[in-house]
Amino acid sequence: MKVPMQWIRDYADIPTDAALYTRRMIMTGTAVEGTEVIGEGISGIVTGRILSMERHPDSDHLWICQVDVGGEAPLQIVTGAQNLTGGEIVPVCLDGAALPGGKAIKAGKLRGVESRGMLCGGSELGVDDSLYPGAGVDGILIFREEHPLGVDVRPLLGLGDTAVEYDILANRPDCQCVWGVARESAAAFGVPFKMPLIAFAEHGGDVHEEVTVEVLDTALCPRYAARVVKNVRVGPSPLWLRAYLHGAGMRSINNIVDITNFVMLETGHPMHAFDLSRVKGRRIIVRRAAPGETLRTLDGKDHMLTDRMLVIADAERATGLAGIMGGEESEIAGTTAELLFECAAFDRTSVRLTARALGIRTQSSARFEKGVAPATVSDALHRACQLVDMLGAGETVSGEIDIYPNPLPPRSIEASVKRIQKLTGVTIPAEDIAAILKKLCFDVALEGDTLTATPPPFRQDVDSDAALAEEALRFYGYDTLPSTLPQGEAMPGARSPRMRLHDKVRGVLTALGGHETMSYAFTSAQAAAKLGLAADDARLDPVLIRNPLGEDTGVMRTTLAPALLTALSLNLSHQNEGGLLFECGAVFEGHTRKEGELPVETQTLCLGAYGPGWDFYRMRGVVLELFRVLGIQAKLAPGADVYYHPGRSATLTAGDEAVARLGEVHPDAAEAFDISCRVYLAEVNLEALARLQAPMTGIRPLPRFPAVTRDVALVMDDVQPVGPVLDAIRRAGGKLLEHADMFDVYRGTQLGTGKKSVAFTLRLRAEDRTLTDEEVGKVFDKIVRSCETQFGAEMRR
Amino acid sequence: MRETIHQILEEARGAIGEVKSAADLEALRVQLQGKKGSLTALLRGMGRLPAEERPAFGALINSARETIAEMIELRGMALRKAERVLRLEAERLDVTEPRPQPALGAAHPISMVLGDMVDIFVGLGFEVVEGPEVELDTYSFELLNLPKNHPARDAQDTFYIEDNIVLRPHTSPVQARTMLSRKPPIRVICPGRCFRADEADATHSPNFHQIEGLLIDKNITMADLKGTLDAFARGLYGEGIATRFRPSFFPFTEPSAEVDMTCVACRGKGCRVCKGTGWIEVLGCGMVNPKVFELCGVDASVYTGFAFGIGLERTAMMKYGINDMRALYEGDLRFLTQFR
Repeated sequence: MKVPMQWIRDYADIPTDAALYTRRMIMTGTAVEGTEVIGEGISGIVTGRILSMERHPDSDHLWICQVDVGGEAPLQIVTGAQNLTGGEIVPVCLDGAALPGGKAIKAGKLRGVESRGMLCGGSELGVDDSLYPGAGVDGILIFREEHPLGVDVRPLLGLGDTAVEYDILANRPDCQCVWGVARESAAAFGVPFKMPLIAFAEHGGDVHEEVTVEVLDTALCPRYAARVVKNVRVGPSPLWLRAYLHGAGMRSINNIVDITNFVMLETGHPMHAFDLSRVKGRRIIVRRAAPGETLRTLDGKDHMLTDRMLVIADAERATGLAGIMGGEESEIAGTTAELLFECAAFDRTSVRLTARALGIRTQSSARFEKGVAPATVSDALHRACQLVDMLGAGETVSGEIDIYPNPLPPRSIEASVKRIQKLTGVTIPAEDIAAILKKLCFDVALEGDTLTATPPPFRQDVDSDAALAEEALRFYGYDTLPSTLPQGEAMPGARSPRMRLHDKVRGVLTALGGHETMSYAFTSAQAAAKLGLAADDARLDPVLIRNPLGEDTGVMRTTLAPALLTALSLNLSHQNEGGLLFECGAVFEGHTRKEGELPVETQTLCLGAYGPGWDFYRMRGVVLELFRVLGIQAKLAPGADVYYHPGRSATLTAGDEAVARLGEVHPDAAEAFDISCRVYLAEVNLEALARLQAPMTGIRPLPRFPAVTRDVALVMDDVQPVGPVLDAIRRAGGKLLEHADMFDVYRGTQLGTGKKSVAFTLRLRAEDRTLTDEEVGKVFDKIVRSCETQFGAEMRR
Repeated sequence: MRETIHQILEEARGAIGEVKSAADLEALRVQLQGKKGSLTALLRGMGRLPAEERPAFGALINSARETIAEMIELRGMALRKAERVLRLEAERLDVTEPRPQPALGAAHPISMVLGDMVDIFVGLGFEVVEGPEVELDTYSFELLNLPKNHPARDAQDTFYIEDNIVLRPHTSPVQARTMLSRKPPIRVICPGRCFRADEADATHSPNFHQIEGLLIDKNITMADLKGTLDAFARGLYGEGIATRFRPSFFPFTEPSAEVDMTCVACRGKGCRVCKGTGWIEVLGCGMVNPKVFELCGVDASVYTGFAFGIGLERTAMMKYGINDMRALYEGDLRFLTQFR
């Protein structure tokens, strides 16, 4: 909300220094986004009268003017404007003057003729017809009134004041107006709030004979007040009114519309003026729209209404959307002779839903949405009538319509001063609390520790002792808060188990060179489809967002794989060398969710890698190392998912549960993400890791007896996976086999086709003695025999 | 005889001195001390000596053998040392030559900032609690004094799945769940992902992270809130960082405050980052609204408490000088590899 400071100053004596004003307002709770001088940059421009004009000898369009700027001798100024005849008072830029935007005016010569300044037009000054009638003319701005010569033109054109841009908090709808911020300003600077005396003349007649008003839905319209003005004279508004509206960012339309806008800005009450002669049957009915009823609003748009929308209707049809916009039918026109001023309170939710449904947002609807106090409706209406008087815009008929069946009784709050002091931690004296509340227009009684405060009707937000504490502290000063630490029993802080697991995972993966990434939890419905999943795959049944920002963020992700592939693709497109990326985050199940229930969220880890040094085995190694660190035993089996290379992918299972899948990405899936090289992916269920992880319990003592190391090469079918053979060796080796590993694979013609020789190293050791050759030989033979029987493997000699 | 031995020793000394390699020395050793060696020959000829001279002669030869062995040993050591020096010289590397570099990865900047903050709050006795990212409206709004018609709930701000299911717009629902499930005293922080319907640009992200705190106990004051946040600010940015409270409004708290922190870039002197004010807006906080206590089953006549919420993206951007929030969500290694 933008307000010129002079308008505030009408009601509270605030400092002229905008920076000083702003600082204090911010520290007392009225946010100020910024200030702006209206007509910023203008200097050295004064009134001057054109005494004479003659043609420039060397030009067919330039004029040489002698201009009286109040000095001893007139100034000679050359102008190209064609709208002057001589005798006019105009704005004159003296030598050294400045225009908005930093343009400087210097004395000089124009085609050889001396010109000691410049005459200027409205557009050069940033003044249009709305602020000063006639300013929009093509040529020089001509003052419509007599003015002394040589005086600063800014005040004459409604310029020079500073406008303050306020950012009003959601709980302070009362501050959406000049009176509201003036009240806060007065309290902030310890000066009185000068509420204007509102008085106007009633010119006889009886409003009840002019019009009837019925409110059929008092829930949506708790108060409706109206006045009738006759002998209306629609015309331009005076400069002061135009300047206030201009400073507040509104355009001047005519005196009647300007009055309604002025009252809205000043009091916070949106008003509407109807041309009474065009209100059919001279009846106003406030009712819900009939389903399918249509209305053409002031902006010429047609709307289809529903019975959840409140309208202002006449005897025949809806003529306005309550609190949002009037109808074209009863709009004020130049010929309007009698009018009805409406000032009402409408239900904020109803206004909000209607405005949203119809896609209309006006200053009026914005105010009603935040909340307008019914109690102060008549103040606003009277202020409008007072302005009609002041502007000579018509004659107010005697009597008032005011339908206000359920006025809210004043509520008083009892609070303990000690509790306010304890809540804030600041010992604000009881008298200071009372004084602050009085400044804010509360009724206050103080008896011992008990403070009884009755908020003014426009302060619906204050309804508890905590709220009173905030009011008191705002003006006592938030900067008086001391810095203390909470007392009470000591509590051990801790990370959550989930966070500890994530920390551990992150620690392992970064140590292995991984860089953590983060992506949005919502994605496009196509992201999972790009993996090439089967049509009935549960991951193609995501949780849908009802109001997404766009298609690419319309569903909750069911898998992290697309995010990692997208990141790999991005890095490839930047020709980055490659590396390991990983992300931890939730995926959301759509297929198991029932209406009204939250989806299952599963914390998942996804890794993606490409570049030099990356292959299937390195990715497998990263995952296995993570499992080792977490103390999880898992079995590897070939094959993972459709978007993996069928021969270069694996699944890790613990118990019966698949806990990780990994491998080279299938070229079809890679291509879907614009990836043309080999990339590697791994997906790990972190919830499973959380369940399965086994904390380290203690160490094994170091061996005291020597070990015996034997190597053995076994010839087996080439298609025989080595993993199961190694498992069999370990089983057969039993307790004495301390360590077994593969160290070479050999394929050669002497082995025969379809055969390979796999070399293993075996280390045997007993805890309590040095092994004899005989013992070693027995174990060794058992291992070889077991491989022979299980896999048809033969020892290579 | 003596002369012969002396001569053998002198010859051996000369030969050993001239040997240039360990291998040659070994050959010489075999020659001097082996079966064909001159001392061995002398020893063999000892039988021709009178019996009474033999012991003295034997001792003489043995002493000569020892002397030779010693000379060989010494020469060997010297040769090995010289050879090692030569080898080391030959093995000289260009230590400036570039080679593949083993490299640690890095946590995401948001994880790093979160970790730093969690450390501070855990030190102050706060426990980390978490909750679902897709959340019931009840916990997200209603129990937090944001009734159905509150403007902050409008569809333009919050993502909806159903009428009563939202993508949580803050981590406050975890606080509501905590109040309903635990008895005070409560000291928790709730970090996590949140969502608001803001188009992504340099300073906004529809998917973002927050850390919220809640402390409930007897006799908790707003001054305690200030003290806690002061400790937090110093913990995160070091001594000399202060907080400034400004009145504000959040439905969840009353009184409420917006908190500015001494600008980290200029330490309060005023710079471009803080637009010359010396302060940067960092978080919102306040005393838990008695209405929230009532809704969440906490006895407001016995307990008071405070709550605060901090955006992690903005903190990370401030700490690392990141000027576009979108960089946090792209996964570009040129960005990620800068963190350590």
